[in-house]
Amino acid sequence: MKQITLALGLVAMLAAAATSADAPVTVNQKGLQFSVAELSVKKGQTVVFFNDDRTTHNVTVSGDGNGVSVNGGLQPPGADFRMPFSKPGTYAISCGIHPKMKMTIVVQ
Amino acid sequence: MNNRRSPLASLFIPAMGLLIAHGALGAAAALPDRSAELQSALADYQRTAQTPAPKTNPMTAQKIALGQTLFFDPRLSGSGALSCASCHNPGLAWGDAMPKGLGHLGGRLGRRTPTILNVAFGEPYFWDGRATTLEDQAKGPLTSAAEMNMPAKDAVALLQANPGYARMFSDAFPGQSISIDTIAEAIAAFERTVVSATAPFDRWVGGDDTAISAAAKRGFLLFNGKANCATCHMGWRFSDDGFHDIGLPGNDPGRARIAPGIAQMAQAFKTPTLRNVDQRAPYMHDGSLATLAGVIEHYDTSFVRRASLDTQMRPLSLSADEKADLLAFLGTLTSVDAPVTIPVLPN
Repeated sequence: MKQITLALGLVAMLAAAATSADAPVTVNQKGLQFSVAELSVKKGQTVVFFNDDRTTHNVTVSGDGNGVSVNGGLQPPGADFRMPFSKPGTYAISCGIHPKMKMTIVVQ
Repeated sequence: MNNRRSPLASLFIPAMGLLIAHGALGAAAALPDRSAELQSALADYQRTAQTPAPKTNPMTAQKIALGQTLFFDPRLSGSGALSCASCHNPGLAWGDAMPKGLGHLGGRLGRRTPTILNVAFGEPYFWDGRATTLEDQAKGPLTSAAEMNMPAKDAVALLQANPGYARMFSDAFPGQSISIDTIAEAIAAFERTVVSATAPFDRWVGGDDTAISAAAKRGFLLFNGKANCATCHMGWRFSDDGFHDIGLPGNDPGRARIAPGIAQMAQAFKTPTLRNVDQRAPYMHDGSLATLAGVIEHYDTSFVRRASLDTQMRPLSLSADEKADLLAFLGTLTSVDAPVTIPVLPN
């Protein structure tokens, strides 16, 4: 019985790990800064840029030599911008309104 | 138009309610007390203790002294008549008190001269943010044909031929030759020392309820609430270092030239600091508004409605008393700064 419980527990852990690896990752923007300076995600994973600040932001994404350039558009307080990263590489993230807001995302 | 009330505006409603409940509005008295909400909001305006400097250009006494000397030296201009201080005059709150700057041989420039007060904290630079570092900014006016009109190689040759400067550079940059980079690094190091001193508003933030008037305190609540100023003029320098189209007439593309493809950057300009703002008329990137009262009128109702207008711009319906309170508050941001020594220039 103990062995079955352990096996089930292991299956559950593996399932959770697989889910979390693909689950969207949220980046906040409170206080005119991204909540992390660097982020590593898996190919295909989505990053949710949530505006929990009190001013409008505008996320821009620029890939390093892979041709990806995305303007997330105006993002009022409370709104989010979801960006799936389908190409491996390093991405520079900034705010088009507040260029001091910068972060890097590495897609494995 | 975005007519939602900002979270900070909501936060101030209890404080304003408290004022009304205690009958303090219109009275020349201190706030009845400091609510937790008010104290929390004031904490957003605590001054930063340290002046930042990049690791690539640490501030040293020798570098600052050299930078200050270069800053005041008109020989670093093609005409021999313009120094950095000609436009960034410490006696005029580090501006020039003109609607548009004057450049080489008196040519009129396209925008108002921004102050360099607290510039250490405020990258990117210029009204359109085209320089990402203060060092890059320092090279711009120096070498611009329209401004100081001093090609980099001419500046280097002029300084190399001056034994006094050669010694100062040797002290400030041991083992390095004079170059446009070391010139810019020295000027930037000096500019980072230009920091506004403590103002009455800071003393209020620090707990002295007698530091500013009741009108100024009401103005602070308006600034953070109904008037919506703090959406962009935030933090102790009162700037988000961001770019916004605030509806001034004209066709200057502003930030859009630097950051194309972002619709709201058309005719957007950098949020200026409000420190010592009542010493720095005229106002706006184009110098089009002669007084702070005119600036408040602009934000109240006079702005141009267009597609790129910042979503936070909306008619404010401020009363005459509220406008007066805002003016009273803005006056509390002015500090009595230490006198600036104009250096003896080396030969």
